[in-house]
Amino acid sequence: MTRGLWDRETVAWLLVAALLPVAVVWIWLEGAPAVTRLAFAFFLMGIWQIVFLIARAQPPSLSMIASALAIAILAPEDLGLLPLGIGISFGFVAGELVFGGWGRNILNPATVALAFLGFAYPAFDWPQPLVPVAWAAIPAALLGLALGVMSGGVLLGAAIVGVTAALLGALSPISIEAAGLVLVLLVCDPVSSASTRIGGWVNGALYAGFIVLFDAYWAGAAPIQIAVAAAFLAALAAPLLDEAAIAIWIARRRKRHGRT
Amino acid sequence: MFGRVRDAGLLVRFPSPPRQAVETSMEITEEAGLTAPRGQELRLGWFAEEGTSVAQGAPIARARDDEDFALVAPMPAKVARVRLQPGKRLAEVVLFAEPGADRHRFSIKKASKREEDALRRLLLNAGLWTGFRRRPFGRTPERSERPAAIFVMAVDSRPFAADPITALAGREEAFDRGLDALATLTDGSIFLCQSAGKALAERSAGQGRVQKIVAGRRHPQGMPGYWIHQRFPAGLDAAVWDCHAEDVAAIGELLADGFVPETRLVRISGEALKKERLVRTQPGADLRGLTQSVVLAGPHRLLSGSPLDGVEARWLGVRDRQVTVRRHNPPGPERHWFADALMRRAYPKPMIPTAALSQAFGASLPSAAFVRALTSGDSEVAVNLGVLSLLEEDVALADYVLSDKGRLPRLLRGMLDELEKELAK
Repeated sequence: MTRGLWDRETVAWLLVAALLPVAVVWIWLEGAPAVTRLAFAFFLMGIWQIVFLIARAQPPSLSMIASALAIAILAPEDLGLLPLGIGISFGFVAGELVFGGWGRNILNPATVALAFLGFAYPAFDWPQPLVPVAWAAIPAALLGLALGVMSGGVLLGAAIVGVTAALLGALSPISIEAAGLVLVLLVCDPVSSASTRIGGWVNGALYAGFIVLFDAYWAGAAPIQIAVAAAFLAALAAPLLDEAAIAIWIARRRKRHGRT
Repeated sequence: MFGRVRDAGLLVRFPSPPRQAVETSMEITEEAGLTAPRGQELRLGWFAEEGTSVAQGAPIARARDDEDFALVAPMPAKVARVRLQPGKRLAEVVLFAEPGADRHRFSIKKASKREEDALRRLLLNAGLWTGFRRRPFGRTPERSERPAAIFVMAVDSRPFAADPITALAGREEAFDRGLDALATLTDGSIFLCQSAGKALAERSAGQGRVQKIVAGRRHPQGMPGYWIHQRFPAGLDAAVWDCHAEDVAAIGELLADGFVPETRLVRISGEALKKERLVRTQPGADLRGLTQSVVLAGPHRLLSGSPLDGVEARWLGVRDRQVTVRRHNPPGPERHWFADALMRRAYPKPMIPTAALSQAFGASLPSAAFVRALTSGDSEVAVNLGVLSLLEEDVALADYVLSDKGRLPRLLRGMLDELEKELAK
C-alpha cells in the first residue's frame, strides 16, 4: 500500500529529530547526570504507556522522547528521584494519557509536569540554562520549521516580540536564553500550540509577552520558571486563539462570498 | 503567506516507469463497459436488448425518471450484456466492438442556435451530461438546474494526470464553441482554470463571461474543489458545476456536426508497468485491454483514476482520465500477538497538525480544525469551513499525507450524504 509519511509516529520522530541539536549539546555538556535523568524520565513514561496500552488499548507514542527530554533539561535540580517521578507521572498521565494519548491532549505533558514540580516543590532551584544549550535552540527551531513539525507562526511571533523587547531593554540576556530554549522544547509542540496561521502568530507573541511581563514584575523568579509559566499560559490560550482565528476566517469568507 | 497562491500544495511522487513514446496512440478496446457515475445510482427506464448492434454515439439506455438522460455507445458495438441490480439500477452495460458500423448523428439544429432547452436535451441525449458534476454533494446535476457558476478544468495536478492541453490541441474552435454553450446554461461566470501561459479561450468566448484562473503546478491546485472553495464556494442555494476542458471541447464538436467524439485522452501509469502510455481511447474502455501490452508479470490491480483517488474497476469510470496499475501484494504472514496489540488499535491514531497537512489542502482552509470536524462528525463546523464545496477527491491528498488509508474520503462522503438528507429537502 502506498501511503504518505505524516502519520502520528513519523511526526513524533521528526519532532525528536528537530530537538536533536539541543539534546546533543546538553548531554555533551552535562554528561552522566543528564543521561540518568533522561533515562529515568523515559523509563517512567514508558511504564505509563504500557499501563495505558493494556488498560485502554491506547497505542503508545514515541513523542514521549521529546517530553522526556524537555523534562530532563528543565526540571528543578537536585530534586531526587521520587519527587521527579511524581511530577513526571502527574504530567504525563493527567496531561496526555487520560485524554487518549498524544494528539488528543490539550497541554504538553512536559509543561504540565514542570508546572506541577514548580508548585509542589518551590524550595528547589530551577536550573540555569547553559548558554550553548540555549544557542542550540536556534538550529532546532530551523529544523522543526524545515520539517514542518513546528509552526512558523509561533516561532516568528515569539521571535518578533522577543527581539523587540530585547532591543528596548526589557529583557535580560539570561531570560532570552531560557525563553528560547523553552520555546523550542515546550511551546512549539505541534499538538498544544495553535494550529491556525493567525492563531500561531498570536500564540507565539503571547508567550513572549508573558515572558516580558513576568520578567518585569515577578520578583525572585528564575528565568526557566518564568519561561515555563509563560509556556503554560500560552498553551492554555491556544485553543481560544484557534477558535478566534477560525471565526475571523469564516467572517472574512462570509463577507467576500456571502457564504462559507 | 508570501506568494502562497502559486506555491501552495505538494508535489507527490509515486513510482512509475518513465514514458518513452511522446506521441499519443489511438486505441479502441475490444470491450467497453458503461457504468453509473461513481457513487451514484442510475435507475434505467429503457435499455437496448442484448445482441442489438448499435452505432457509435447511439443511445443504449435511458434513465427512468428522465427520458432524455441517455447512455450512448462509446464505439460501434453489439450490446453484450446489461447487468442490473434490484430496482433496475444499472450495474454495467457491456459492449463488444463491431468495427465498420456507423456513427450516430444527432440533430443539432435548435441546440446550435443557443436555445437552452434544446441544448440541454441534446447534451442529455448524447451522453455528455455526465461530464458535469455539481457541488454541493457531487452528483450529476438535474436537467433544469441553472448553476451559479461553472468551473472548467484545463489543468489537472493529480499525480500522472494527462495534461488537458494535449487533449485540447487542435480543438480550439470547438473549445470556444463549447464555452459558448456553457454560457447558455448559466447566468453566472465561467471560471477557466489553466496553467500559466497563453490564454486558452478567446476573450469573447462564453459570451464574455469567462474568467481565467492561473493554477500552479502543485496538487491540489489543479483540482476543481480547490478553486471552487477559493473563488466561488458552493452553497445550498448556489450550485457550482465543474467539468473537464476536454468535455467542453466535446460539446463544441457535437454542436458543430452532431457527432459525439469517439475518444478521450487517458494516461496509463503505475509501478506495475513496463512503460507508461498516453492513449486516446473510448469512454468506458476496458482497463485490461488498455494495459495488457504494457503490464509487468505478476499480480496487479487496475485503478480507474489517479493513485490518490482511483478505485479498483474493470471499466474506465465516467469522468476518469487516468488508469493506475498497482502491484498487488498478497497479505504477509501473521503478526505476533504483541505486535498486533501495538498496531491494531481500538481507534485510529489522531492527526497531528503539520505544515504538510496544511499544504495538502493548498493552505486554503484551517486544515487541523477541518480534519477534526470531519473525524468527529461535526457537520456544522465543517459546513462553516467550506465542506459543501469539497468532494472525496479534495481530501484524498490529506488522507494520503496522513496515511489514513481512505478514512477521510469515506468520512467526507458520509457527512455529505447526511447533510444532503438533512438540508436539501
